[in-house]
Amino acid sequence: METLKIYATLALLSVRARMEYKASFLLFLVAIFFFYLAQLGLLIVVLARFKEIHGWRTGEIAFLFGLATFSQGFTTLFFNALVNFDQMLIQGEFDRTLVRPLSPLGQVVFSRFEASTVAHFFLGTAALYYGAKYSGIEWSLKKDLFLPFVIVGGVMIQSATRLAVSAVAFWTLRNSSLVHIVVFSSREFILYPVSIYNHGVQFFLTFLFPIAFVNFYPAQYFLDKTGENLFHPALQMATPLVGAILFALSLYVWKRGIGHYQSSGS
Amino acid sequence: MRYHLGMAYTIEAQNLVKTFTVNESGKGLLGAVKALFSTKKRIVHAVENVSFGIRQGEFVGYVGENGAGKSTTIKILTGILVPTGGVARVNGVVPYENRRDNSKNIGVVFGQRTQLWWDLPVRESFEILRVIYRVSKGDFDAMMARLTKGLGLDGLMEMPVRKLSLGQRMRCDIAASLVHRPTVLFLDEPTIGLDVLAKENIRSFLRELNGKDGTTIILTTHDMNDIEQLCKRLIILDKGRVIHDGPTEELKKRFPHDKIIEVDFESELASLPLVPELEPIRREGKKMWLRHAHDSSGLALAIGKLASLYPVKDLSVREPSVEIIIRSIYEKTAALPGYAPVEKAAK
Repeated sequence: METLKIYATLALLSVRARMEYKASFLLFLVAIFFFYLAQLGLLIVVLARFKEIHGWRTGEIAFLFGLATFSQGFTTLFFNALVNFDQMLIQGEFDRTLVRPLSPLGQVVFSRFEASTVAHFFLGTAALYYGAKYSGIEWSLKKDLFLPFVIVGGVMIQSATRLAVSAVAFWTLRNSSLVHIVVFSSREFILYPVSIYNHGVQFFLTFLFPIAFVNFYPAQYFLDKTGENLFHPALQMATPLVGAILFALSLYVWKRGIGHYQSSGS
Repeated sequence: MRYHLGMAYTIEAQNLVKTFTVNESGKGLLGAVKALFSTKKRIVHAVENVSFGIRQGEFVGYVGENGAGKSTTIKILTGILVPTGGVARVNGVVPYENRRDNSKNIGVVFGQRTQLWWDLPVRESFEILRVIYRVSKGDFDAMMARLTKGLGLDGLMEMPVRKLSLGQRMRCDIAASLVHRPTVLFLDEPTIGLDVLAKENIRSFLRELNGKDGTTIILTTHDMNDIEQLCKRLIILDKGRVIHDGPTEELKKRFPHDKIIEVDFESELASLPLVPELEPIRREGKKMWLRHAHDSSGLALAIGKLASLYPVKDLSVREPSVEIIIRSIYEKTAALPGYAPVEKAAK
């Protein structure tokens, strides 16, 4: 409890520090909004033309978009600081977190807490709400209960990829291009049903870089999609498990990374 | 004094080794691309078998040239780096294995970078440190009153850190490292880039902290005045090894008859002066430092010779400073009387 209070104080302080630069803060908000709008716009254009993508109708695609955007928004809200983590290493700022009686990861996350990422969260929530509404899901008690698990699982998968990719910087020092590919560009893959890709890509997104579990597999379950089982039907229920495993793995990589940390000169 | 197994030390370094692997990268874009595919790696031995023991209340200078391994040692002792070999202990805690426990006992100042929140008033940084270290309000207020007085922080508390001068910032940084009353303080170049007055302020505060509170302090610095005025003990590091460890006074006594002659020549000399009694130790443009290592009776004669042979503009004779002594140790490590590699004595 005490620890939570400390992190909240850290976060609050970093928000206050950020507010020293109000114009930059507002510009960032506007940029986030247009980023999502542009992605959604592209999807709408494609759907207006083709009516459906590989058997997925507009509402269903909206639900896919909603799940992906929500988990990304929620992840960004907390793990935004990791995007520029390599800079913290290069400038030696990370040293400081190792000489304080708090978890280094907690300090990285909350001492660079970016309040404007709340926009990601709200846009993600809106996308999920409307996606669920327009997709014509037939809700049942089982689905109601499963939804929060899917969301937590999806957030864990996305957080885990961010954390693992950031931890690579402990070995390579610079990793911003890797972060941008894995964290941002990978999102493009799951805006569409994974079934449209060839087998190699499907395999990759399911077993090697399993972001298909963020939205595609659980969406199959919620939308009662049958007839296009990839690999195994059980995968539709696997999101929470995959999330937990990936998150544990990424924490392990992070811990190993700290042990390998070389610090910077001087 | 050095390191003896079985003694009770506040800070222990036992055969510390730290090697870094550096990827060799060539120059320019092509070199960078090549480096991506090559497995050429260079191993840098930053610290090689460093041992020392520091007792409660000692004030130790830890010096050496750039790249000698000072900061690496400090980073191991503070828990930032994991050593490749050997063991470190601070208050009985292995810092890199138990970072949290270690961090409660130690204060750390890195002169090159601040630990304060850059965009916020100084007061906020202290307040958050109070929260992070779980210091009670009463203890905090008492400590802040002391720090404010000792380091002259009046009037700085409401200023954003980014608007502080370097000297002001450093004083705040030192205060910030002491909010939780650590018993051990690591200072990595705390006086770098400061003016004389700011340095003097900081020195007198540190002297008091060490004297009154008995805080154990390790100080790395390039400023020999810091060493002479503060550190009763000096550990000198060269190329990752301890080449000297002993009382600062003792070091001076090793050269009891030495005099250092600082000479300003009219013009830069093409060759070194050829007065056999005077040994050149350092040279900066027209300025030169010469050592007279014999008893002082021959000193006047030697200076006379020098002045008659070369265009001397100005000249002063002084006791060797610790800096000069250290420099001469670097230059002839092996020849130094009393030098021996750090040995471990049996209990």
